Amino acid sequence: MKKILLAEDEEVLRMLIVDTMEDEGYEIDEAVDGKEALEKIEQADYDLLILDYMMPQVTGLEVIENIRKNPLKKDAKILMLSAKNQQSEQEKILDIGADYFMSKPFSPLALLEKVEEIINEN
Amino acid sequence: MKIKNYLQQSLSLQFVGLMLRVLLFIVIGAVVIAFGYRQLNQFHANQNNLLEQKETIIKQIDNSFNQAFFDFRGYFAFENEALKASGYAQEEKLRGLLVDFEEVAETPEDHIFLDDVREYLDYYYGELVPEVITEFEQGDREEVQQVANQGATKTLSTFQTEVRNYRSKVDNQIESNYELLTERNSYILIIVGIYLLSIIVILFRMTRIMFKNVGQPLSEFAEVANEIAAGKEVDVNVNLISNRKDELGRLSVAFKKMVVSLQDKEQDLIGHNEELIAQQDEFEAQQVELETALANLKRSENNLTHRNDFVKGISNSLNKQTVLDEIIVNMCKITEADQGIISFLDEDDYASYGISKAGEEQFLNNLDNGLNEKLVRYKESFTVKRELDQNEKGFHEEKSYGYDLYLPIVDVENEVTAVLVLSRFGSPFLEEQLEEYEGFAKQISISLENIQMYDQSEEDRMRNQDILNTVLEGIQLVDLDGKTIQVNQKLCNTFGCNSWTNGILGLSMVEWLDGMKSYIQEKDDFSLFLTRAIEAVDIDDSFTYRINNTNKVYKVYANSLFHDEEKIGTVFVHRDITKEAEIDQMKSEFVSTVSHELRTPLASIYGYTELMLNRELKPERQKKYLTTIYQETKRLTSLINDFLDVQRMEAGKQSYEKKYIDLLEIIEKVVDSQKINTTEHHFEVQVDTSFTTVLGDKDKLKQVFTNLISNAIKYSPNGGKIQIQLYQDSGYLQTAIKDEGLGIPTDALDKLFSKFYRVDNSDRRTIGGTGLGLAIVKEISYAHDGDVFVSSEYGKGSTFTIKLPLVETISNTTDPIESTKADEGYKVFIIEDDRSLAGLIEQELEENKFFVHSFTKATDALKQLKVELPHAIVLDLNLEAGEMDGWGFMRELKSMQVPYSDIPIIISSALEEQDKSLALGAADYLVKPYKASDLSRTLLQTLLKKEKRGQIFIPDPKKDE
Repeated sequence: MKKILLAEDEEVLRMLIVDTMEDEGYEIDEAVDGKEALEKIEQADYDLLILDYMMPQVTGLEVIENIRKNPLKKDAKILMLSAKNQQSEQEKILDIGADYFMSKPFSPLALLEKVEEIINEN
Repeated sequence: MKIKNYLQQSLSLQFVGLMLRVLLFIVIGAVVIAFGYRQLNQFHANQNNLLEQKETIIKQIDNSFNQAFFDFRGYFAFENEALKASGYAQEEKLRGLLVDFEEVAETPEDHIFLDDVREYLDYYYGELVPEVITEFEQGDREEVQQVANQGATKTLSTFQTEVRNYRSKVDNQIESNYELLTERNSYILIIVGIYLLSIIVILFRMTRIMFKNVGQPLSEFAEVANEIAAGKEVDVNVNLISNRKDELGRLSVAFKKMVVSLQDKEQDLIGHNEELIAQQDEFEAQQVELETALANLKRSENNLTHRNDFVKGISNSLNKQTVLDEIIVNMCKITEADQGIISFLDEDDYASYGISKAGEEQFLNNLDNGLNEKLVRYKESFTVKRELDQNEKGFHEEKSYGYDLYLPIVDVENEVTAVLVLSRFGSPFLEEQLEEYEGFAKQISISLENIQMYDQSEEDRMRNQDILNTVLEGIQLVDLDGKTIQVNQKLCNTFGCNSWTNGILGLSMVEWLDGMKSYIQEKDDFSLFLTRAIEAVDIDDSFTYRINNTNKVYKVYANSLFHDEEKIGTVFVHRDITKEAEIDQMKSEFVSTVSHELRTPLASIYGYTELMLNRELKPERQKKYLTTIYQETKRLTSLINDFLDVQRMEAGKQSYEKKYIDLLEIIEKVVDSQKINTTEHHFEVQVDTSFTTVLGDKDKLKQVFTNLISNAIKYSPNGGKIQIQLYQDSGYLQTAIKDEGLGIPTDALDKLFSKFYRVDNSDRRTIGGTGLGLAIVKEISYAHDGDVFVSSEYGKGSTFTIKLPLVETISNTTDPIESTKADEGYKVFIIEDDRSLAGLIEQELEENKFFVHSFTKATDALKQLKVELPHAIVLDLNLEAGEMDGWGFMRELKSMQVPYSDIPIIISSALEEQDKSLALGAADYLVKPYKASDLSRTLLQTLLKKEKRGQIFIPDPKKDE
């Protein structure tokens, strides 16, 4: 079973993604902010990290930077969700090290499709 | 002749000649005498010798004859032959002697003697001796005796006697010769004596000649000279020699000439003298003129000196008062005036000399009339003669006069700007003086204009500097080299100039740039930008920089400054764009936040609806999704509402419908509505004041308390007490909402009321919100002339306090008039000069139960105020010309004490002067024309507000039609 970490501060969105993914048989760990996300990443290996961009304390970007610096975790696959959908922001996000990007609001089914695609790549 | 002429030409030569002649004479005389003497002596000596020779010869002849005679006698006697030979020998000797004698014979006598001797000798030797000797030899001795006796002896004796006679004759001759010599010598002596005598005579003569030729003429000259010297008239022709050619002659001629010339000259001199006397008279006349001229000159010089001082006094200062003082003092000096005053016509500046305070005041009070008016009207100077009054006369008893000179100071526009009055005691102002003084007046005019121009330009400069200083941007003007020419205060404040320079003006680019650089972060880029800007031909650019150790962001705008299309410098404007930067920052954050905030609920709605549409879901899940969708939609709605509210408020477009409302009522309603959302919180409303009425917009205030109370609930997730306390403090009604929740970190307190700011920490991440609630609270508070502030202890809870202006209670005031009048109904004063309009208003108001009292003059209304106090005043701004107008009345009333100053004024005017009127304290403003009912409604509203403040019951006005 593929294991995914979801870091999202908005509870309703977390619930939406978790419901969408779990129905398809993914195991989802939840983190309410970047800080918790980093803690969980440290403790386990995930097939995919779904990170929200804007989170309190430690943002999604900071999480990415942190991971990419970590030799053990630097190859993790990252999908970033963001309300910032300007071209410049997307580029910034991909530059910093996200592998995939999806803007809010998003279609949960499209997200699911994207996740399956990423995981099946390997 | 020539020599004579020559000699005659020189006295000394003459003298020399004379002396030479004398000497010659003496020498020649001496020589002639000596020579004569010598000749004489020689002649006599020769004569003597000759005679002695003759004598000797004669003697020898005699002797020889005798010898011969005796020899022959002896021969005859003794026949001795020797004797005969000797006798014959004697013939030879005799013949020789005769030759000798012939040589010395000179006189005829001598020659006769010689011839006799020779004849005798020839006879003796030729005839007698031979005959006798022959006879004697023949022996005829008788015959010889006979012959001898007969004659021979006799002839012989005769001869002998003759010789002896001749000899004695010669001896006599010698004798006489000697005597002649002696005689002649005595002649010579006589001649010598005559010679000496003649020398003396000559000398004497010479002396006489000299005296006559030299001494006398000289003494004559001397005499004549003396006479001339004595000034006598001398006829030189009579007295003086002039035909001489020597020095004296020449002297004489010269002297004559001199005398003639002297006499001529004297004539001339006399002539001259007369002329001179005439001239002297003329000169004297001229001198008098000259003295007058000199006096004038001196006066002119004095005037010039004064003028110089005057001009210096003026040019040395640009201070108006100083210059005026200088002008009046110098003018009085120059014009010899005893008093003077100069005063501007339309300014208060003046200066006087020798005038008392009272005099000055009198003059200044009458600047516009009397003689000054004449001066202003005709712009020409004039003088006034007047009798001096007692104190001006001093100790003089007789009548004396003073002369006042009025001089206009006329500017270039030919307007009289100032008057100059000079007063002189005793001596009048002369025509020519007036001309000069008018010249001075012109100069004064120029000076005053200069000062005014200077004042003006200085004022302009100061104003410009003041304007610059009021500008919030730092402004710096530099020249082409970058030297600072002008700055404003703000620039120095920004860069703390005082810490690195005593004055930035005049500093070179390097100096001020170094100073500024020490204050900012982007030192090199800043410096590069400014340097380029200064060097650029034309620049219009800006550069943003940050001040060290602050969050201040500045932007410097560089613009080339041109004059006549030539760059003369660069202007730098340093603008504090901290706020703009923050706003920019906030804007971009805002956009991203709005984007985020809107997208999140949208994402939920989008996602859940998609799931619901695409998946088979259990009913409970469907319900959960629908609830979420509903909640998110609500969230989205309130977010949009809040967002729009904030935008409207910030743009100043939010309208507030303020009424007197009971705040407590609102709070209670909000608490009731919020209670529904929570079970963990309990509410406590504590009212510590009896006055909870505020003037405000009910809905907006409700929004404020909803936001604050819902926040209190949200941020105290663990529940607890939410206390709402109302109290009065320093003129405000304060409402504190206190929770026992999470509290707010200290560093977040400042930003708490900023839009979209949300305290960012984990314990509140689940708490939803738009981040606009408090910003809205703040805006609404401000709009109500109130404020909102927060105090919080992190982890223990927060207290938000709203303060709103307290509506004062009039029941607290103790004004008896107010109270009593109120019971009788409203009394309204109308101040309106248009009687027909006043009548209309009166009618309308009386229909609405007002007691109306109309006035056409504001002053009348003011008087009446003291008698009866109106509840309100309806005031027209434009009243009768010349009377107090509405503005004056309003100022007057507002400056009075309570209760007068509290009387509400409703302006009723055709003018659009709302702002000014309200600023002055008008309660409301109606622009003519307006409906009469508008006025009564406005009056009622105004009075209602006041009543509410005073907690006074009022009958329901008929306003809600």
